[in-house]
Amino acid sequence: MLALSRKTNESIMIGSDIEISILEIRGDQVKIGIKAPKNVPVFRKEIFLQIEEENKNAIAQEQTPETIKELFKL
Amino acid sequence: MKVKTRYFGEIELDDSKVITFENGLFGFEEYKKYALLYDSEDGESTSIKWLQCVEEEGIALPVMMPTLVKPDYDPIVEDDWLQDIGDWNENNISVLVTLTVPSDLKAMTTNMKAPIIINTDSMKGAQVVAENPDYEIKFHIYDIIKKEEN
Repeated sequence: MLALSRKTNESIMIGSDIEISILEIRGDQVKIGIKAPKNVPVFRKEIFLQIEEENKNAIAQEQTPETIKELFKL
Repeated sequence: MKVKTRYFGEIELDDSKVITFENGLFGFEEYKKYALLYDSEDGESTSIKWLQCVEEEGIALPVMMPTLVKPDYDPIVEDDWLQDIGDWNENNISVLVTLTVPSDLKAMTTNMKAPIIINTDSMKGAQVVAENPDYEIKFHIYDIIKKEEN
């Protein structure tokens, strides 16, 4: 991981298409602005990790299609 | 094309049925090609379908229509998430959510926070994040589906 120090209103470029800006620093909270092409999704890391985990859980399930169907049919 | 599936053995799949996920699914970004399978006995209106990765046999997720358990399901999704699926409208998109089935069936949940959107014209799909603050990654559905029986 590359670590850079920035002050409010300074920016970082990732490639030529992605810009990260420090908009405001208030106490221990940093407001970050992100400019990225529309096809690059941007989201908070914990959400990404939780969704990844849930996809893994959905894949790991061990019931047969029949059992699951039964639950919905009844 | 012949596809090895997790739950249905080896099947013959028409190329036109392959759905392309440009960004894959969260955590599985390198896998882009999927097919929506269901037991042919049940017909197309079956509640549960299976999103099977055609590149990797072991990757298959049960999916279902969220409106079956939450009739007012209406995810707020930023346009950027849907960039890759081509021009879409109410009529050509299918919204599905993954079903997580733990060994305790009563703890069954659907992921309302990260639905899967499929454009049936372009055959492109994407897993997106809904902005709705009350949509959960683990939405409990057991009681709901049991209640519907009565």
